Amino acid sequence: MQRSLSFEIFRYTAIALFLALSLIPTAWMLSMAFKPIAEWQSSGVDLTWWPNNPTLDNFRFIFGHSSSDLIVALDRTAGRPILASLLSASFGTAIAMTAGTAAAYGLSRFGFGGNLPLALIQLRLFPPMAVMIPVMIMWAFLGLIDTWWGLALIYGIVTLPFAFWLMKTFFDDMPREIEDAALVEGCSRWRVFLRVTLPMMRPALASSALFVFILNWSDYLIALLLTTRDWVTIPVYMASLSSSMTGQLYGAKAALGLIAAVPPVIMGIAIQKQLVRGLTFGALKE
Amino acid sequence: MTDMTSPMPHARTDAPDAEGREERRLGFWLTLPAQLLVLFIALFPILMQIYISLTDWSPLDGIPWYRAYELWIGLLNYADLAGDPRFWSALWRTGLVMAICVPVQVLLGLGLAILFVDDFRGKRVLYSTILVPMMVVPAVAGYMFFMLFQSGGPINDLLSMISGQRVTIAWLSDPDLALFAVIVSDIWQWTPLMFLILLAGMVSVPQDQQMAAVLLGASWGRRFRTIVLPRMKTIIIIAVAIRVIENFKVFDNFYIMTGGGPGVATETISIYIYKVTQQELIWGYVAAIALAILIVLSVVSMLAIRKMRKA
Repeated sequence: MQRSLSFEIFRYTAIALFLALSLIPTAWMLSMAFKPIAEWQSSGVDLTWWPNNPTLDNFRFIFGHSSSDLIVALDRTAGRPILASLLSASFGTAIAMTAGTAAAYGLSRFGFGGNLPLALIQLRLFPPMAVMIPVMIMWAFLGLIDTWWGLALIYGIVTLPFAFWLMKTFFDDMPREIEDAALVEGCSRWRVFLRVTLPMMRPALASSALFVFILNWSDYLIALLLTTRDWVTIPVYMASLSSSMTGQLYGAKAALGLIAAVPPVIMGIAIQKQLVRGLTFGALKE
Repeated sequence: MTDMTSPMPHARTDAPDAEGREERRLGFWLTLPAQLLVLFIALFPILMQIYISLTDWSPLDGIPWYRAYELWIGLLNYADLAGDPRFWSALWRTGLVMAICVPVQVLLGLGLAILFVDDFRGKRVLYSTILVPMMVVPAVAGYMFFMLFQSGGPINDLLSMISGQRVTIAWLSDPDLALFAVIVSDIWQWTPLMFLILLAGMVSVPQDQQMAAVLLGASWGRRFRTIVLPRMKTIIIIAVAIRVIENFKVFDNFYIMTGGGPGVATETISIYIYKVTQQELIWGYVAAIALAILIVLSVVSMLAIRKMRKA
């Protein structure tokens, strides 16, 4: 549809204004991450929006190398929490995707598990905080507190609804003729699933897995309750970058925040097309 | 499922039946892991929760949870809950945050979606850039806004620049301003989500009717009201439902920005439960709160789903 010039001007102005506001927080963290300690100060007197003397000191500091300006040393570096986040989010994704894909196929093709769609939506509905007492007791009983595999298990369950619904909509969309052809050739159902269906679904599996990974990577509350020291994840560890002695280590936190923020943003942009489907439980496809 | 163990009688004589059995077997095994996981996270925790909620048990008592019956107090926790002003105020505050955040997010998202519905130069890049906030880890977003709202931070700096005098508002230590600040962070993070969903909905509204309306000389506003909006009803309901559900759980950015404070000024229901769990450690009581919320949510969601199915 043709739009007038004045509308075009309005459009760009409005978008520019919105983006300017919406990018301030990210831009500020980016700038803080590269500032030397002298420029962190929250006194506000010499607040600079752009680092005057950009430095990588903050990144060196969180990975345990002493920083020239910081007297404090960290008792734990960021390496382990990053590993914890990676392991728990990846294996959580593997659990959710395996159980979710299998169940979605079972329901989509054979009509099994008719209770799952609703049960999983309900699971998604409840605040995790409302089931955490029993989960903490169960995890303690199973020896899963403060382990990355314990986190991976709960992440797998919490994101199962997304994996299931996403894959269900993909299986529902997939034409059955190719599967039928393979069946006529004499393949067993199981072989068809493994050798024909899954390879065809590779793009769908990849984007669903990335989507689920972003969700797992973004968790804070569950890790806060289920990890204590050895396997705390990035967001939980972040809180330890401030103490009564040092105050807020703004630059160090910003550097770590940047490390935590970059992967999901890149992944999210990569799977833009599937985001709507995932976030609306497949109610809306783009 | 009982015939799972019985051997297949004669392989290919009655093909359709054998195939049906194979399908049933595969369907059963494929859905089993998901069923078990759901059972594992739904059944045990709920039963455990009911049991513990009837006791005064705390992990500091030195007795394991299954012997919590020694501290049996019946429905006393629920009676306490009904008269707990902090619980009701947290619930009310969660509702208030929702009542402000959701409409603002939906309206902003809708406005942006209108700007993006047809093609223009740079659309793809701008679209991706708008989505960035929703992909930032919420805890990190909380930390970003914690920095922004420091009294010597960039927001006051911007206000100083605009007003010409030095502004030193203590955003996060004033009850009302702290609530405002956490609401801003929520709106910042989730407006892109509303934009994403509403735009997808808007694009799917067929063009032909709109074209016809253009030919008839209907103004843009009129076309939007009478053609586009009615067809977006379901999508708007979905978008609102998603935000209402997620907003009810809100924890990460709020907790990192203010810890629920100053006092209880930004304490939402999740923060309240977290604090009772971690700081006051009265788990019997926490179980009662959690269960009460679960029951209310179940009833509300059942009614909502039933109503949506009818529509």
